[in-house]
Amino acid sequence: MPDKVPANDAIDLLLAQHARIEELFVLVAGSAGDTRREAFDDLVRLLSVHETAEEELVHPLSRTLPDSDALVDDRLAEEREAKETLRTLVDGGVDAPGFDAGLLLLRTAVLTHARYEERYEFPRLRAHVPAGRLRGLADAVRAAEAFAPTRPHPGTESAAANLALGPVLAVADRVRDAIRDASS
Amino acid sequence: MFNPLDHKGIPLDDQIRNWRELNVEPIDPEAVDPYTRCRIIAMNGIEAEAIMFSHQFARNCGDDDVKRQLAYTRYLESQQQRVVNWLLPGQASVLETTLGYEQVAVDLTAWVARHEPEPYLRQAYEFGVLEDFDHLYRYANLYEMVERRKAEKIVDGLTEVMPGRPTVQEHRHPFDEVRTPYDKDLVDPRSKLHALTILAAEQQVMVYYMNVGPQYMEPIARQLYQEISLIEQEHVTHYESLVDPGESWWERLLTHEYTECWLYWSFMEQESDPRVKAIWELHLQMELAHLQSAADLFRRHEGREPEEIVGGSGLPEPLTFEPNKEYLRHLLATQMDLNKLGEGYVREAHERFEWMQQQLHAGEQPPSEQVIEQHRERFGDEYRIETEGPHPVESLRAKEGGRSA
Ligand SMILES: [Fe+2]
Ligand SMILES: [Fe+2]
Ligand SMILES: [Fe+2]
Ligand SMILES: [Fe+2]
Ligand SMILES: [Fe+2]
Repeated sequence: MPDKVPANDAIDLLLAQHARIEELFVLVAGSAGDTRREAFDDLVRLLSVHETAEEELVHPLSRTLPDSDALVDDRLAEEREAKETLRTLVDGGVDAPGFDAGLLLLRTAVLTHARYEERYEFPRLRAHVPAGRLRGLADAVRAAEAFAPTRPHPGTESAAANLALGPVLAVADRVRDAIRDASS
Repeated sequence: MFNPLDHKGIPLDDQIRNWRELNVEPIDPEAVDPYTRCRIIAMNGIEAEAIMFSHQFARNCGDDDVKRQLAYTRYLESQQQRVVNWLLPGQASVLETTLGYEQVAVDLTAWVARHEPEPYLRQAYEFGVLEDFDHLYRYANLYEMVERRKAEKIVDGLTEVMPGRPTVQEHRHPFDEVRTPYDKDLVDPRSKLHALTILAAEQQVMVYYMNVGPQYMEPIARQLYQEISLIEQEHVTHYESLVDPGESWWERLLTHEYTECWLYWSFMEQESDPRVKAIWELHLQMELAHLQSAADLFRRHEGREPEEIVGGSGLPEPLTFEPNKEYLRHLLATQMDLNKLGEGYVREAHERFEWMQQQLHAGEQPPSEQVIEQHRERFGDEYRIETEGPHPVESLRAKEGGRSA
């Protein structure tokens, strides 16, 4: 689909990731067994890709705008907190007692965080950063997306492709490298 | 049937809520029954009308005692509105709430049309519902463009998303929006409740759009809200003109409170979220007392019994949020090309309509057309949810590659 959409900027891509993250939360919450395990795996990986892209590209760009430090600090604090909840969930696995409650907590935190970005951060970037610059950054977001899960409906493909990419949480480092390569 | 006139409800002096009680926990931002969201949006519109009506009444009332009584009940209505509307979650975006508003306009109006006993009034609802149906489709396309999300997330397959009477055709001369009112002395009491309910819902939609539209930075979003808010204002004209202007202020107050009782009672019966259901239950108990005080004022000032206005046999069948897909498809197939002239309905594009179209569009495409075109440019297709097959009107079928969920 991205090919069909002309002139997407980095924010369009991040918004599309927010939408996919929301869908994956619904999928994890409503499934069981292997389907749930794979959906959760995809969710963890996508969150990792997404947050890394924002930390590397979006938040630093926001810092260049006047009076934005407090706003960016708040977003980063939310991301740190979400990461901790995420780590607990990953460590325990989908069968751990309390997974459902933890997932709900994480979901609310992630959705709220995403809406804060959409309400207060992204519009400022679109208003103050030249459109060409935001379009240019789309390449780096795409480079990060290469590490995101690709199966359209988790469960229909083997998890082998994702496993080959390594443990889900370690993906952040590779994403970071890819982003830096793409933007240098 | 439940007769609200037979109940006392919670004494007015016990109805003021403190901060803790006002600070309600919102519904879940994701895992929500779409019709729970619809009931919240509908009740918010009713409460907003209760407040605005009471202000208008007070401005037209010379009796200070009555004014104080109105002020007190109005404060209670205000708290009810805050509680109801604050059930919406902060994570919902303006556009998501907008999709909810149009889903309400579609399924609420369709239900009312199906249950309206008076054919002339039913025609007014059938006419109007096809326009809000089209708004849902336009906003769904905007939603995917601006927020990259799919309207399916909001309407969840309960309401289809596809063209109705195209918004571009909905701009007609304001003269032609004015309908003939019902006769308050002859009409079925149900018709009074229907008219007030739809009028309140449309008024809330208008007020919402005219205020939130400029919050968007995307030019197409700003323009689409401007366009559709103008239509919603015409809808208010259309529906409010159905109400008999000969009703006295006392009579109107009575009808307002009675309608609130009917709706809370209806929603209480069908609510799937237990926490929200408890609020409908509480508010019904409050409204029963509002109704008593309105009935007392009515008796005192008119020397008549409230039953003469709202009937003596209790509430009508509960208003229900439910899918109206087949009914809407039937209307699409038969009334799509309907237009209004004077107080009636016609099929031809008449002179006054053409004049208005020229003044407004001035040879350009309105935002409601641009939004679909831009969506096709960006995504290669338009956004639709056609769960029951292709569009019943052949000329409105998706051209190529229309995704159907
Ligand atoms: Fe984000
Ligand atoms: Fe009320
Ligand atoms: Fe509408
Ligand atoms: Fe409307
Ligand atoms: Fe009331």
